[in-house]
Amino acid sequence: MVVATIAGAVLLAGFVLGSLYKAIRYFRMPMHVRWELYPVAHEKGKVAYGGSYFEEVDWWTKPRETSMVGEVKTIAEEVFTLKAVREHNPRLWLPSLLFHYGLYLLFLLGIALLFGAVVDRLGVAGVGWLAGGKVLSLWGLAALVLATLGCCLLLWRRLGDPTLRNASTPADFLHLWWLLAVFAVSWLNWLAVDRQYTVAAGFVRGLIGMRLGGDVPALFLVQVLLLAAFLAYLPWSHMTHMFAKYFTWHSVRWDDAPNLAGEAYRDKAMKLLMLPVSWSAPHIRGDGKKTWLDVVQERGES
Amino acid sequence: MKPEPLVPPVKVRDIGKPTPELSPLDLQRIVPLPPPYDQIDPQTLWKELTAERRQQIDASLDGVSALSLKRPEDPQEEERLLKGFVEGLRKLLSVENNWTFLQPLQLTLDHCTHCQTCADACPIFVMSGRNEIYRPTYRADVLRRLVARYGNGGNPIKSALTGPIELNWETLARLAELSYRCTLCRRCAQTCPIGVDNGLVTHELRKLFSQELGIAATECHANGSMLQLRVGSSTGMTPAVVRDNIEFIDEEMSEKVGFPVKTPFDKVGADVLLLHNAGEILAWPENPGAFAVILEAAGISWTMSSDLVAYDAINYGLWYDDVQFARVALEHIKVAKKLKVKKIVIGECGHAHKALTVIADRLLLGEDNIPRESALTFLEGIVNSGVLKLDPSRNDFPVTLHDPCNIVRAMGIVEPQRRILRRIAPRFREMTPHGVENYCCGGGSGFAIMSPNNFANWRMLVSGRIKMQQILEAFKDELDPAIPKYVCTPCSNCKGQFRDLLRAYGAWERSRIMYGGLVELVVNAMSDVPPGFLEWEFH
Repeated sequence: MVVATIAGAVLLAGFVLGSLYKAIRYFRMPMHVRWELYPVAHEKGKVAYGGSYFEEVDWWTKPRETSMVGEVKTIAEEVFTLKAVREHNPRLWLPSLLFHYGLYLLFLLGIALLFGAVVDRLGVAGVGWLAGGKVLSLWGLAALVLATLGCCLLLWRRLGDPTLRNASTPADFLHLWWLLAVFAVSWLNWLAVDRQYTVAAGFVRGLIGMRLGGDVPALFLVQVLLLAAFLAYLPWSHMTHMFAKYFTWHSVRWDDAPNLAGEAYRDKAMKLLMLPVSWSAPHIRGDGKKTWLDVVQERGES
Repeated sequence: MKPEPLVPPVKVRDIGKPTPELSPLDLQRIVPLPPPYDQIDPQTLWKELTAERRQQIDASLDGVSALSLKRPEDPQEEERLLKGFVEGLRKLLSVENNWTFLQPLQLTLDHCTHCQTCADACPIFVMSGRNEIYRPTYRADVLRRLVARYGNGGNPIKSALTGPIELNWETLARLAELSYRCTLCRRCAQTCPIGVDNGLVTHELRKLFSQELGIAATECHANGSMLQLRVGSSTGMTPAVVRDNIEFIDEEMSEKVGFPVKTPFDKVGADVLLLHNAGEILAWPENPGAFAVILEAAGISWTMSSDLVAYDAINYGLWYDDVQFARVALEHIKVAKKLKVKKIVIGECGHAHKALTVIADRLLLGEDNIPRESALTFLEGIVNSGVLKLDPSRNDFPVTLHDPCNIVRAMGIVEPQRRILRRIAPRFREMTPHGVENYCCGGGSGFAIMSPNNFANWRMLVSGRIKMQQILEAFKDELDPAIPKYVCTPCSNCKGQFRDLLRAYGAWERSRIMYGGLVELVVNAMSDVPPGFLEWEFH
């Protein structure tokens, strides 16, 4: 039990640290050139048809009207209705929707257990149901039904549709099979061991209280280890799209902020233009000493 | 109805297979056009490469060659190329060498779930009859696998998870060609629920090949940006020739419109520096001519430049090479600074719009940050000012509008051109889809100027076919050749593609479908100009 708990804790820490590492890595990447794609969700009054401030005569003299509401609305639509998949890939929409809703509910279940453990330690009364009980039992059931059904349907699509199967990588299958294994063990737990999540709540309480002893059923431990291992692996997979969307949408697709007066990006740009270039083609001949500023002022050889 | 997938389907790992052709274009599977154009047998538009030509160049991707790559002469040369490619991968993923696109590229490499939501957004994939190698994820996955296996020393676990791939001459040559089977229209990126941009992968692959190995389309590089930097324009025009040509155009225009038209050159202190794609001056002189007519009639203080590079708005580096891109953009800005203009207006050229207004934006510091404006926006301002007397009845013929990807999807300039058309073209109708969801003309990312080997045939049959379909649909009730029709195309490269496309399908003879810019329609509607500015001659 102790070893398993420590392993679970280490793997969960791996998930948190791995995710943080990846997010920070993207966050610290240098400024890129603009690469926006319309519609840009924050363009006030123009987003419905994909317009931009470039439609205004002398646009640089006019106030830029943006609205974060547009961004939030678009992201929310994507998260809760999987709009892009619904519109452009309808065959995959329902399986994907079920799967994602199952995951959302499971994630919230985990949060509830964590919150329940914290308030329990703090001795807050009135939220005891978060530490196991009928509400959580139904919640978990709904989550498992949706996630398992979605996962099975996605696997069925990936395996059964020759086009999709052909375009899939080993990792795409690994993720689904691994999750299916997690769900299968979770079902067994729900049915035979911990229908009201009291064992799970106790385990979380133990984790945050650093109490490693105590007996828990072996099946429950298998579930924890399978799930924790999956979570530890997740940051190294494409599943980080759950937070990478912030960057792909907000920092790339919608990043249309103009360099007004040439000042906003001056320091960043100057620093980057002083980086050494080592591209080897004849028209560049970067030797690792010449900077970007140097090579862009040359004419280059054919 | 979707055709069945190719059996057996080509797999990503097959890219390195030593087969004569990985996935040839299957003419039987090309999506048919609406009647009566469904009678045109794709075979008549196709050209097989001769056995002799195939000996000379590598066409092992799909039987087409855009790059005319020659096989390495010996194993040492092959080894050098492969090493260079691996080195290029490393540089592509380094801050020093690719800060310009590193974050978008890394995000794209890391997050594709292969859900294929983007597949049907790609007109090349769809119109080819769903040839697997044109699938937006195909070339991107080749790169992902190569990065996993060879990038920064390689990662065996990651490589096993992304799938096997072999880097050999076949992989390298096919991937280079494959980076010229996508027009960079970015419709795929627009549909991705995650924000992955498989179109960007094409851009980055072209950069790797050009910046590290010196492999690029001749039309874009040697005869494109290099020529522009050397003699002033990719058309080969020197300053003296440009001035001569513009003088001739001015004379023609003055005669046609009945008042003097004179294009100012190098006027210091003018409000506006107008940058044209120099191709217009040679191929469609009525376009710079119409601009001059409008600007003179509107009393705008403007000028063109006769300085090297600055009389040609093109910036082909946008499509394949960051260094070449920056070199040209800086020349444009240098001249605007020298002339002390208040703003640069970019003529009807889509990629020039995006290059100087968007991509160069954050590199233009301090005094270099001279405001840039689209000719479409600028033109709407003139039309709205009421200074031109416009008679829409002069444009009483069916008109549809093509949305250049670089102006619309990449810049969000959607309505100005439409508001003008609604005002001057009473029979204007939209294509479906249009605006930011438009389809590329099929000549995007340099394709319109590329016709080596049988690439032009591929352009007509595959990349441009959906646009042909859209044009026919827009005019479907008026295909009678007695009714002249106009595809308004405010982009020079798109016009090049339309010229070839409409000619290839015989659309001028069969249906009297012509193409041209927006300014020509505006001048055609000007009451102060004698009727008939627009000449219904296909060229």
